[in-house]
Amino acid sequence: MKMKIVKTLIGSIAALGAMVSCDLSEYPYGFYSDENFYNTPEDAESAIMYAYNALTNLEYSRGIFYIGEAASETVALKSGEDANNPGAQALDEWNITDNANNQTLQVYFKYCYVAINRANAVIKNVEGSNLDEALKTRLLGEAYFLRAYSHFSLVKVFGLVPLQREMVETVANTSPSMAKTMDEAYEMMIGDLEIAEANLQYTNKVGRANKAAAQGMLAKLYLTAASSKESGVRYYSNMSMSVEEMYAEAASWAKKVLDASTSGEAPFGLAPTLAEIYDVDKPDGCEHLFIMSMDRSGQNEGNYSKIGMLFMPYNNGSNFYVEMGAGNLVASHYGYEVFPTNRAFYETFDPADKRKTELMGETMYNADGNALGTSAYPYTNKYIDPHQVSESTGDKSSVKPYLLRFSDVALIYAEAMGSDDGGWVARIRARAGLEPLAAGLSKEEFRNAVVQERAWELAFEGNRLYDLRRKAMVTKTDPNAQAAGISEADAAFYPIPQREIDLNPGLYN
Amino acid sequence: MLTLFLVWMSIGASAQVLTVSGTVKDTQGEAIPGAAIIITGSTKGTAADADGKFSIEVNKGANLTCSCFGYVSENKAVSSRQIDFILKQDENLLEEVLVVGYGQVKKGDLTGSVANLKMEKLATMPTGNSLFTNLQGRVAGLQVVNSGQGPGATPSFYIRGISSISGTKSPLVVVDGFPLGEGSDLKQIIASEIADVVVLKDASSTSIYGSRGANGVILITTKKAQEGKANITFSHQTTISQFTQKLNVWRDPALMAQLDNESRINAGQKPLYVGDYDNGTYYPSVAEIQSGAWPYRTDWADEIMRTPVVNNTTLAINGRDKKLSYNLALSYYDDNGVYKTDDYEKIIGKLDVEYRMFPNLSLRTSNTISKDWRNNFSGDVGRNPLWPVYDENGDYWQASETDYSNPVALMNTVKNKSQGLDLISSWMATWEIIPGLEWVGQLNYKYGTTVSDSYNPKKYTEDGVFNNGHANISNWFNQNIVPETYLTYTKLWNNNSQLSTMVGYSYNYYMERSSSLDAYNFVNEALTNENMAAGDPEKNGLSNGYSASELVSYYGKLNFSLWDRYLFTATFRSDGSSKFGKNNQWAYFPSGAFAWKLHNEPFMKNVEFIDEAKIRASYGISGNQGISAYQSLSRYGMEEYYDDGAWHTAIGPGYVTGTYGSDGRFKYWGGIPNRDLKWETTRQLNLGFDLSVLDNRLRLVFDWYSKHTYDLLRQRYLPLSSGYDKMWVNDGEVINRGFEVTIDADVVRTQDFSFNVTAVFGQNKNKVTNLGNVVSSGLTVDPNTGMEYEFTGSALTYQPVGTANIMAVGQPMNVFYGYKTDGIIQTDAEGIEAGLTGDLAKAGEFKYVDINNDGVVDSNDRTIIGDPNPDFTASLNLGFRYRNFDLTVFVNGVFGNDVLYQYGLTNPATMPLRWTVDNPTNSYPSLRNNRQPYVSDWFIRDGSFVRIQDVSLGYNFTKVCKAISNICLYATINNLYTFTSFEGYDPEVGLDGIYWGGYPRFRKFSIGLNITF
Repeated sequence: MKMKIVKTLIGSIAALGAMVSCDLSEYPYGFYSDENFYNTPEDAESAIMYAYNALTNLEYSRGIFYIGEAASETVALKSGEDANNPGAQALDEWNITDNANNQTLQVYFKYCYVAINRANAVIKNVEGSNLDEALKTRLLGEAYFLRAYSHFSLVKVFGLVPLQREMVETVANTSPSMAKTMDEAYEMMIGDLEIAEANLQYTNKVGRANKAAAQGMLAKLYLTAASSKESGVRYYSNMSMSVEEMYAEAASWAKKVLDASTSGEAPFGLAPTLAEIYDVDKPDGCEHLFIMSMDRSGQNEGNYSKIGMLFMPYNNGSNFYVEMGAGNLVASHYGYEVFPTNRAFYETFDPADKRKTELMGETMYNADGNALGTSAYPYTNKYIDPHQVSESTGDKSSVKPYLLRFSDVALIYAEAMGSDDGGWVARIRARAGLEPLAAGLSKEEFRNAVVQERAWELAFEGNRLYDLRRKAMVTKTDPNAQAAGISEADAAFYPIPQREIDLNPGLYN
Repeated sequence: MLTLFLVWMSIGASAQVLTVSGTVKDTQGEAIPGAAIIITGSTKGTAADADGKFSIEVNKGANLTCSCFGYVSENKAVSSRQIDFILKQDENLLEEVLVVGYGQVKKGDLTGSVANLKMEKLATMPTGNSLFTNLQGRVAGLQVVNSGQGPGATPSFYIRGISSISGTKSPLVVVDGFPLGEGSDLKQIIASEIADVVVLKDASSTSIYGSRGANGVILITTKKAQEGKANITFSHQTTISQFTQKLNVWRDPALMAQLDNESRINAGQKPLYVGDYDNGTYYPSVAEIQSGAWPYRTDWADEIMRTPVVNNTTLAINGRDKKLSYNLALSYYDDNGVYKTDDYEKIIGKLDVEYRMFPNLSLRTSNTISKDWRNNFSGDVGRNPLWPVYDENGDYWQASETDYSNPVALMNTVKNKSQGLDLISSWMATWEIIPGLEWVGQLNYKYGTTVSDSYNPKKYTEDGVFNNGHANISNWFNQNIVPETYLTYTKLWNNNSQLSTMVGYSYNYYMERSSSLDAYNFVNEALTNENMAAGDPEKNGLSNGYSASELVSYYGKLNFSLWDRYLFTATFRSDGSSKFGKNNQWAYFPSGAFAWKLHNEPFMKNVEFIDEAKIRASYGISGNQGISAYQSLSRYGMEEYYDDGAWHTAIGPGYVTGTYGSDGRFKYWGGIPNRDLKWETTRQLNLGFDLSVLDNRLRLVFDWYSKHTYDLLRQRYLPLSSGYDKMWVNDGEVINRGFEVTIDADVVRTQDFSFNVTAVFGQNKNKVTNLGNVVSSGLTVDPNTGMEYEFTGSALTYQPVGTANIMAVGQPMNVFYGYKTDGIIQTDAEGIEAGLTGDLAKAGEFKYVDINNDGVVDSNDRTIIGDPNPDFTASLNLGFRYRNFDLTVFVNGVFGNDVLYQYGLTNPATMPLRWTVDNPTNSYPSLRNNRQPYVSDWFIRDGSFVRIQDVSLGYNFTKVCKAISNICLYATINNLYTFTSFEGYDPEVGLDGIYWGGYPRFRKFSIGLNITF
């Protein structure tokens, strides 16, 4: 009898236990995970926006300038900026000894892969889904575009890099291997962009990729490869396609953009005035094939932008007006002077160049147009959001990094053609109030002239370093690089971050 | 109080009644006043008077029982009119029963390391918001850090050192069988209703708590009603505090201005105090200040501080009869902090009822409701005394548009308050099925909620200015359900051998959720956050969170005692937790212990002076599951993306787990799942002995332990190309070794006078032995010693880059890492000679030491410069009683710990002692405004201190009148004096040893009154 009671009780305890303990699984609550996401078209749309969003993060969106501009001859860097962005100073000064541990490079590297992983997540989950075909096609187009765009960002900065072809879901996916050759890297990027090009339409939506952007990027990739190989840049020298073949590909892809725009099939073209390109209220203007989406109503940096403040003078912490073309006063927030323009670069502009007279200035005005003072350097007017002042949004602005402009593609076409450019360079110069290039230039002279034209046209837009690199003229052009005593080969790429080398066991598989 | 008084009402005489009188004395012939004489089997009785005499009317043939706490009761038949009792002192206090995990054990039968504290000993101490404040120094091996002094502050506490880096560090707190949680501060429990605190330290005691036991366990037992008539107790305590030292602020503004100018000039900057505007603020010249031409002089402490007062009132009623016992208490606690609007208030109501339904079945419920209110404010009393409070318009004065620290403005315009409600409810049944077999079922429920309100106005606060007013309401609530059931079977043989077994099952469900509403951009601020819809509708912010976890446990215990000489304990627990990864869902925690009661061996029988001699040994495994829920799952992030002119929610893999860098501008990305994630494991060996001699007048408890904790929860870095930064892994090891001694002596033990001494000594040596792979853990290697380390802890105020604490393999946790200094550079040449360059080589600078002798002082010259862990802690409690007077003196000390004194260069008391050409000191550098001093040994101070923590004097009025049986009046001074060489306000700081300033420690004067009806 005693034993019976004991048994019953133990039994009942065990049964009660078994009842509750059969399932200790955790289910995500209040957050999304692979278990509860990618089920609907809205999920997929939201996932692609997450991929775009990766680029807006400060580490990437500011990195565009810390690397692409500060390391060139266009701008200097505020002293002490290293306290905020460790490594930026080494980039500006071409102090290359510890670039494997340069934090600015490291975070830029990482964010390219954050974007790639988010794009891969879309590719993986949308590809096999039963979403509406049209939607599926577009989403895949955008995802492949972003994957290629980010890999190209990496290739431009670091040369050969790990290629991440799948979504990282477990630790097993965290060690992608390096591209063994530039051909391998280009094959993947071009393949991705061709899918994007085929899948996307000629749309124009701020912050989203489209067919013309894919074509433009293809042109840019081929031009980079062609000119790099031509200049004998490491990794490019042994690419399998010939320089001429690659110039031809660049020209042919660029021409698709130009033709579609001219014919009205694509809503792009040269903006009639310079001011219109940089009008913060017209991010969907015809110049912008691909532009980063940011808005002053956002809560965190990345959602809103501080890019303009990096370029503008401090003016004792008071807002001021700039003159964008005679008599056109535009209110500007004061800046942090992180990227003061190098005067030597400023002097390279033709005095009549409107890209100098209208898009750059030294005087700071009050509302009545009276001069308040002179900036220590000629600042650019490309990143001004007057609403920042009129709506008192503080640091928050809507200025956006220009990721791919129509005139960029037009100049790519001209450079790839090497001569007979269909008048695009002349049109771009005319808009800036300049005469066409001198006639009778050799192919090489013409190409060099176009590269110089790019320096003026795309100044401060995060392009210059990569133009210098593919033409192997970093040390020739940037006095800091010269002073640092580095070779052109040293300047061609930054090293892969040490942490990647240390932690990725599959890197050289 | 050493004796308990029970006064029994006598009832009228009836037939065959005798009046019996007599005396109650102890074996030494001393009278025992207050001893209870009860007619056996009834509730009638009386008490002995001050001379030990009593008189009672009894029926003929009845028996009388005489009893008193601390004495063995005696029973005598009424055979004559004179009956004298001689009570023997209860030789065996060891018979006292202690609550341990899932059961009780006689103190003498303990096999593990278990400390016990009777709360009546602390009855006259000032009651803080948490019981633990008063446990500091009282229990060997329990470290209590009272670093906060604000209203409602609660201390942090640890058992036997720190054995986790990222997981929970605090012990599990269990109240009457309800595990309230790790580090639970017990602010919901009425302090005076706590009877007993038991601290479980070794593995054989804590393994029964499995994955929650590794940091030790604290068991709290609340008061139970005594049998007899209703017992009403009223107690009140008022505490008034003063600073133990003056605030260290500038009292001579001219000197401040002069030194500030000097500091700027030395930095090559324009001096401020020259009678000119700087950034829109006018700074008077030193002459203007001296002459009085500058009219403002503000004592900011006067503006925003006051004398802190704490009031605590409790009314408790309890009673017990054969069937029913009840315990009712109501308490009000009001804490006015040193800042004028910094307040805390708390009301707690408690109701316990126990019903003995059948002789072998009782039901019990215990319920506590606690409601508290907090109004937060703290301001900067060190603000420039030359600045006025108000401007000429009567508005709050601001140095510039971006001056957000006028404390009076903040005090009067910022809203920051919260209120909470907690409910703790336990329901329990105990059923003795057959003699020896007992079933216990307990259902515990806890509910807690907090609502916070805040409003930052359009002016005076940075956040408010930026957002044009920012209102917030935050809600948080949690609940915890713990059904638990266990079965105990006890069998006794030959009166000296006993087997006791227990098996049980428990389930623990914990859930918390929160929501937060933000509104910005207010047109009219009159309503602050009362109408959130009044903010700009486009800018509203919403967030909410939720987390739930489950823990399922099976456990068992076996106690075996042979001939009352050899004691064996074995425990086992298996825990399944939803927090663990899929591949490691179940954890198993065994332990074993052995104790040998030497004093019961036949060969010891002749050793008269030894009352107890026991040797103990235990070994076992316990765990720490202190990770957050969902860490083993994949987790997506959510961001906003501006698309098509509107914000859209964007979702995908990876979420932000933290930030780093200047202003936290860089993000860490996490969310990659780890299906192997599990608990931290601690193996602990404990060896100890208990000795009690000379009639139990001298008692000694000694324990030595070695705790090895491995599988520490840490984050490892992932390759950058994964798009993730870090993931949680089990990696790393820590060892804690130490010993604890408690000596308790009744030096004098007579009726009128007693004198008791308790000394507690503890030493813990802590060592990190493994931090995982250098690369994947992101460790740095010291170039001189090869030591692997990583920085940890908080950024310093004077050194914005990096932190001072490191976790280093082979070192104690949190040691300080930095430069060594060798005084001050006296000449520029000396600086260059020392290997310094630039500004750092100038005369008046720190002379950093080139420890690797490579001719250059650089980051390779850093080394370990201090250890914030104490070498040992010790305390001494002296208790005197003379008749009705009680005097207690408690002294507590911490020895050999280093403290990083952050204010070495900005201390108004020592800044005038700076190096100058005319004062070539080696103690203080020159003043230089733009100096960025390295973390160096110059900032490290000895944090040892000895504190006269409590001095308390009480007087007991007994038998005041018919209605009132006892009045106890007492006065206590807390923190009377601290002996220390530390130059900051107080060296008692957090585990990382960093001193954060604040304000001086309070000296608390309390008076209190306890009335028992």
